[in-house]
Amino acid sequence: MTDIAFDEQFDARGLMCPMPLVKSRQAIMKMEVGKTLKIVATDKGSVKDFQGWAKMAKDVELLAQEEEMEGDKKLFVHFVKKIK
Amino acid sequence: MDITQMEQITPIQLYELMLKNHNVLMLDVRNEDEYEAWKIEGKFTPDTVNIPYFEFFENEDEAFSRVERDRPIVVVCAKGGASDFVALRLGEEGIKAANLSEGMIGWGNLYIHRVIVQTPEFEIYQIDRTARGCLSYVLISDGKAAIIDPLRHTEKYTDFLELKEASLALILDTHGHADHISGAPALSELTGAPYYLHPYDGIHPFDLLPAKLVYRMLHDGMKFSLGDLLIETVHVPGHTLGQVNFLVKAPSGRSFVFTGDNLFIQSFGRPDLGGQGQSWAPLVYNTIFNTVVERIPSDALVLPGHFAKHDEANEDGTYSKPLSALWKENEDLSRLNEKETFINFVLAHLPDMPEQYIQIKRINAGLAAPDEDEASELELGKNICALSTAYE
Repeated sequence: MTDIAFDEQFDARGLMCPMPLVKSRQAIMKMEVGKTLKIVATDKGSVKDFQGWAKMAKDVELLAQEEEMEGDKKLFVHFVKKIK
Repeated sequence: MDITQMEQITPIQLYELMLKNHNVLMLDVRNEDEYEAWKIEGKFTPDTVNIPYFEFFENEDEAFSRVERDRPIVVVCAKGGASDFVALRLGEEGIKAANLSEGMIGWGNLYIHRVIVQTPEFEIYQIDRTARGCLSYVLISDGKAAIIDPLRHTEKYTDFLELKEASLALILDTHGHADHISGAPALSELTGAPYYLHPYDGIHPFDLLPAKLVYRMLHDGMKFSLGDLLIETVHVPGHTLGQVNFLVKAPSGRSFVFTGDNLFIQSFGRPDLGGQGQSWAPLVYNTIFNTVVERIPSDALVLPGHFAKHDEANEDGTYSKPLSALWKENEDLSRLNEKETFINFVLAHLPDMPEQYIQIKRINAGLAAPDEDEASELELGKNICALSTAYE
């Protein structure tokens, strides 16, 4: 389990590509610079998508990505910080 | 088909579109590495531009400026969700674009059935999982069917046999496959038809463990009859130790040889997917230039287990060529017909060995059982079973 600090959380469980990223981006745009959003997704494709997105977007930084189990379901957790 | 009027295009429609020359622009909105690893190809492969979908909201102006507006556009992603999103955004900007429904997953699961021969006595069909370059076969005679090298989606075969009103009598694998999950054990369990494999491929070459499979053992010279057809097993070790060719003879004298990963239309099967390239390369030479020469009639129609490139197809789309023509037109065969040259060349040009091939071999030996997600992920991309995939 993680000890990364976060300020807000977005539940993207059940959302399919491209929605985990689209909705997370909307959430992060409303946040203040320096704050971190934790996103919990069930879509495996979100792992690479957050990497690709964070690499090109100028105002966010991908702090970490983790996998967790919830029952027999795998969760993909992303920590995104607003830096600009 | 006028794709400027379509919001969605199905995998089969895309396949048909690519059979003829066209002006379509493919917009692939996956990540760069996913795009590099596996692209859509066809007889006429579209010009393609790769712009990950998030660029359409993160860097909108630049993304839109990279999309040509005066051509029909097909948008592609992994599963069809992000591409649908981008197609709608393009529509809002006045750019007409069709979404490939089901994305690369749907494209990868497209099977094309082609007629090799239809006579009153027997029929042979080539079943092509075209995105992966995997070829399998259905033979029918007197209401009985044999399937050679069936692929993972068993319903593609059972539905077809139902349509043909034929009952499955025989399931044959030319070898233990590394690049795709065999449909043979599942078909055998489903239908009760016996599954035959050479026992040398009943041992996992890396784990050195025996298969946990219900199968019957092939041996060199073993014969089967299927209605009017006679099927003879010819052991050609090299690509795997248990690789066989099936020589099929019709009463008319016509013959067909199902070569699995021994001979392809271009090039031949690499010797190293069992981890023993050095010692198996000479075997490959011997099987092609001795066993095949001696035992396969030169007018036999070669029906391989894979293609590497779409230009290996005949005008009618089938992948097949008489053995006599293959000696001249298969460039690797004609220039590497001397043993030492052959072995040196092969060992100097081995393609990469994809890591997942070891796991696929486990699954095919019954040593692992994947769920649909794992199976789908293991089978992403094109096969690289032909030696020539290293240098072409």
